[in-house]
Amino acid sequence: MVHALELTDIGRRFGALHAVRNVSLTVPSGQRHAILGPNGAGKTTLFNLVCGDFPPTSGRVVAFGEDMTRRPASHRARIGIGRTYQTSLLFTGLTVIDNLLIAIRGARKGRLSLVPSASNGQDIRDATVLAERVRLAHRAHHEVATLSHGQRRQLELGMALACKPRLLMLDEPAAGLSPAERPELNQMLKDLPGEITLVLIEHDMDVALPISDMVTVMKDGEIVVQETPDRITDNPIVNKIYLGQGHG
Amino acid sequence: MTLARTLLLTGTAGLGILCLVPLALFLALPENQALFWIGNILARALIYGIIALSLTFLATYGGFVSLAQMMVAGIAGYVLAMTVQGAVPVIIGGFGYPMAILMALLASVLAGLAVGAIAVRTNDIYLLMITLALAVGFYRFVESNIDLFNGYEGIRNVLGPDILGRRFRDPMVFYTIASGTALLLYLGVLFLVRTPFGLALQGIRDNPRRISALGYNVVLHRIVAFGIAGFIAGCGGVLATIYNIGISPGSIGLGATINLLIMSVVGGLGHPVGAFVGSLIFAIFDTFAASLYDRDRFNSLIGAVFLVIVLISPDGALGLSRRLGRLLRGKPKPGAPPA
Ligand SMILES: Nc1ncnc2c1ncn2[C@@H]1O[C@H](COP(=O)(O)OP(=O)(O)O)[C@@H](O)[C@H]1O
Ligand SMILES: [Mg+2]
Repeated sequence: MVHALELTDIGRRFGALHAVRNVSLTVPSGQRHAILGPNGAGKTTLFNLVCGDFPPTSGRVVAFGEDMTRRPASHRARIGIGRTYQTSLLFTGLTVIDNLLIAIRGARKGRLSLVPSASNGQDIRDATVLAERVRLAHRAHHEVATLSHGQRRQLELGMALACKPRLLMLDEPAAGLSPAERPELNQMLKDLPGEITLVLIEHDMDVALPISDMVTVMKDGEIVVQETPDRITDNPIVNKIYLGQGHG
Repeated sequence: MTLARTLLLTGTAGLGILCLVPLALFLALPENQALFWIGNILARALIYGIIALSLTFLATYGGFVSLAQMMVAGIAGYVLAMTVQGAVPVIIGGFGYPMAILMALLASVLAGLAVGAIAVRTNDIYLLMITLALAVGFYRFVESNIDLFNGYEGIRNVLGPDILGRRFRDPMVFYTIASGTALLLYLGVLFLVRTPFGLALQGIRDNPRRISALGYNVVLHRIVAFGIAGFIAGCGGVLATIYNIGISPGSIGLGATINLLIMSVVGGLGHPVGAFVGSLIFAIFDTFAASLYDRDRFNSLIGAVFLVIVLISPDGALGLSRRLGRLLRGKPKPGAPPA
């Protein structure tokens, strides 16, 4: 069985800064994989490398058995890699439904269509279902500029789900959420279909550990520990670099 | 509301306004004055409104402010004047109006695509600069290639085809054609922005990084948007050339380019109807202020009007009327947190 994601010795430099160095990571299909680590550890950069925002300066990215290293970001959306961004990247001048429509259509052909396509009605139904799934049905026809922070995070998740991802990559989905909004997000993550492979960056162990099968801890651009969630909190290195400085 | 209903309602309303205004003018004014309004002010507002619509379309839905739209209109105008039978002097000549207009529109689409391709990686002030450079460069090219474009004198005697036995430049005939074209293009824009293409274009405006990550080809969408804007500008260019009975470098120079930007900004870049609001305000000022003062004072006057509108209302006359409406109804600003 091919793995959802196989990273071989990937690295990325920004000038003198070595943001990600020699990271090798295998995520089997269907796994819930959490990536932890202090700020600046290189977690988001690692995501950007996987999603093709920029190419790695070394190493190889393979997703579902296909070499992605030099492929553009758009190609990955089409083969079923969905992602969210640490800071929401939404189309603020458009409504919730329009945001979802754009995301739904992005994953297939006919994107340049100058006439509403035959699938238009189906697209709108799909977008409505997605809006319900991320609990935004009541805001479906509101402009994104009028949404609260929590609602924007929910929409981020909806956009990532729109390409019917096989691999879903979430960058700190709980960032900035109020304590009241967190259980709702946790529930949404738990409700994800089992066949979706999930890679989750999360600062907060209380969010990450209950839903993950495997935990990778990064620091200074490197992987320092890889453990199952039940053993991660006992790991002395983790305690020193991660728990030692406080979290949440 | 479905797209079809929106278009139907807007179309009916637009048609109503375009028919009622001349009717009201005939009722309110002596015939020769009414014809003056229709032929000199409304017709001009419609022509330049169409060209401004191409700018507003790109700015409102793509976030691209292009200063090359007057140039693109001029390319259509020159192609028409160079190819059509009867124009003086004969440059190429020999084509009837239908064919010459078709070639003119084709040229404007190609020119639009070319501008889009050249400026495809630039945004904001850099896009403004590169399109301005193109416009000025084209102006200099036209002015200095006398064999091709007949220098500053330009090409004259482009009268337009006869329509049902009446002259194209008959005020009522011209007005009918210009308003029909304007309405169709306006509805076309409203339709286009609800298509998958149009939605993606707005996505590019809001967040180019996200839209390409979602699988869209930003480069292709941008170039096509400029091509469509080229077609709109070309329609305006053809009408303007017939309206002016020809074309000369002066009508596509820096002044014309800036006037077009002023119309668009004065009308408001928030909605395509702003193009026509702005061009109407401009045409009225241009007509009456020029007769009150001399030409140079007109420029200061329109400059002052521009400043006042932009200072009071950054989104132009449209924003101004929306603000007034909200003030009168006592509604909160959009975007304000819901109570
Ligand atoms: N596009 C970029 N250009 C330059 N430096 C960057 C860029 N992206 C990230 N970095 C740097 O790389 C390091 C890792 O950042 P990041 O991957 O965002 O960390 P994390 O997500 O783990 O907090 C940081 O020092 C950051 O400043
Ligand atoms: Mg980060």
